[in-house]
Amino acid sequence: MNEILKVENLSISFGSNHVLCGLNMELYENEVLGIIGPNGAGKTVLLNILSGILKPTAGKIWFMGEDITNRSIVERTRKGFGRTFQVPRSFENMTAYENSLVGAAFGGDCKEKDCLEISSDILDLIGLGRQKQDFARKLGLLDRKRLEIGIALASRPKLLLLDEVAGGLTESELTDVLEIVQNIKAAGISVIWIEHVLQTMVDGTDRVLLLAEGRDIIHGLPQEIMDSKEVEEIYLGTDE
Amino acid sequence: MEDKTLRKEKNPLKNIIILVIVAFFASLTLWGNAYFINLLTLLFLYLSLAQMWNLLAGYSGLVSLGQQIFVGLGGYCLAIMTEKYHQGLALSLVVAVAVCVAFAFVISFPIFKMRGVYFTIGTWIVAEALMIFFANWSFANYNIGYNIRMGYTFSPNIIYLMAYIIGIGSVALVFFLLRTKTGLALMSMRDNESAAEVRGVKLYGTKLRIFLLTAGYTGLTGAVLYLNMVYLTPDSAFTINWTVSMVFMVIIGGMGTIEGGIIGAVVYVIIQQYLYNFPGISMIILGAAAIAIILFLPKGIMGTLHSRYGWELFSVRRGLQNKGASVTSLKDILMK
Ligand SMILES: Nc1ncnc2c1ncn2[C@@H]1O[C@H](COP(=O)(O)OP(=O)(O)OP(=O)(O)O)[C@@H](O)[C@H]1O
Ligand SMILES: [Mg+2]
Repeated sequence: MNEILKVENLSISFGSNHVLCGLNMELYENEVLGIIGPNGAGKTVLLNILSGILKPTAGKIWFMGEDITNRSIVERTRKGFGRTFQVPRSFENMTAYENSLVGAAFGGDCKEKDCLEISSDILDLIGLGRQKQDFARKLGLLDRKRLEIGIALASRPKLLLLDEVAGGLTESELTDVLEIVQNIKAAGISVIWIEHVLQTMVDGTDRVLLLAEGRDIIHGLPQEIMDSKEVEEIYLGTDE
Repeated sequence: MEDKTLRKEKNPLKNIIILVIVAFFASLTLWGNAYFINLLTLLFLYLSLAQMWNLLAGYSGLVSLGQQIFVGLGGYCLAIMTEKYHQGLALSLVVAVAVCVAFAFVISFPIFKMRGVYFTIGTWIVAEALMIFFANWSFANYNIGYNIRMGYTFSPNIIYLMAYIIGIGSVALVFFLLRTKTGLALMSMRDNESAAEVRGVKLYGTKLRIFLLTAGYTGLTGAVLYLNMVYLTPDSAFTINWTVSMVFMVIIGGMGTIEGGIIGAVVYVIIQQYLYNFPGISMIILGAAAIAIILFLPKGIMGTLHSRYGWELFSVRRGLQNKGASVTSLKDILMK
């Protein structure tokens, strides 16, 4: 299997807060990699570094064989990075359809007519078909999370970064999200999926990585990781 | 999938209302009295200033306090071209626009490096520097300024028509701009700039284009303002009061909406008529009114109407076409 993303010795500190300390990881083509870790472990920070919002203090990032460490946010998006935000950042005073259109028109490389069609089709696919003309500010939590995924997908990404899209959802809503991710994988997109809901990680990913103390503590098959003593100590331990 | 809610909503009534309003104001040249014509000349010119500042601050996040740069430069170009070089109006206006766009381009390099409040202050400092520069520039008649005699050669009705075209033109410009791809970028930037960037919107390029566009249009407006006022000095040309009035109009009307600028301009011009009676404290009254609006209607008059009642006159919503088959897999969509 080919690597689509490779992260080497990635470090970032905010003052004396060393959030990532020499993280190494890779993602294979068409793989869904789950990342778990306690609150404040640096999961969102990692996504922000990958999408170019934060600059790492050290380390390198390769995307499809190219060193993109110094590439801008927009360049990365246009090369095929798509992402969602833990706290949805949809465009409040635009309709769901226009939100999706922003993704298609600026992130993707499509002719106008195709952009319009893709934006609309994507919303049908992720279950927002009836809310296309609703303002984003009127959508409920699940629909907002869907829209986040929709905007990202509309840019036709090669790599999708999901930041807690299942948090706060009900059992049946979780099934919807799992189905969407299955669909994304079936379309050949590679995914990094951050989640606290461990069952979705077991059901929805190919591999899980436990991020803590700024590095990769352990990674492997989802069920193995969930059963490991590391997860019990570091992750579940925080709940007790 | 047949779904009525997806159809682009067409509302002929709105278009008729807009047409009637536009025709009404054009007909005023035939029957309006002098006071009214003069008032509406101001209204349309201020409308243009408001639309441009809204495009800058409301959509592009460029909160400039230095738009008097372009009002002043526009006025000076008109004065120098007509008084010094005895050129006609058309060429003078072209020069005014060109000089404003060129000057905006040059200052964009330093001031676009500044963010947020530094940008705001930076633009203001440029304006203040220009005021001092023009007051000491022999080429521009020091602080004596100019009496733009060309202003007397046009009847108030003709100047009104110019203002009318500029005012209506500013609304049309913003409206049609918002329906383009750049407009989509602008709306996303208005709602969330950093998210827009993550979605692939090039912030710098988009902002620069809007900065240049508004500079040129504000310059054109400034030139016609001074054609109407006739007398120009560095102090009046580059005073921050120009931008204060823009801010006032956009904030009370509602930032990031087309209608807001219209409402703001109407309110401003009406209030200003009364404020002539209180010359010393007019700015204080305007400031108090703006603060009251910020406190009680933070989205401005239009923003409040829109979010409460969904009311809008100029819809830039993008409609959808109905399609037959519904989608089954993401793969099919991405293969397109
Ligand atoms: N821009 C920033 N500036 C300074 N510190 C930051 C910044 N962003 C994140 N941090 C710090 O980095 C640490 C990791 O935060 P992060 O948001 O990545 O956690 P997380 O793993 O996503 O947690 P959660 O599960 O709660 O979302 C926290 O201590 C946070 O305070
Ligand atoms: Mg997080």
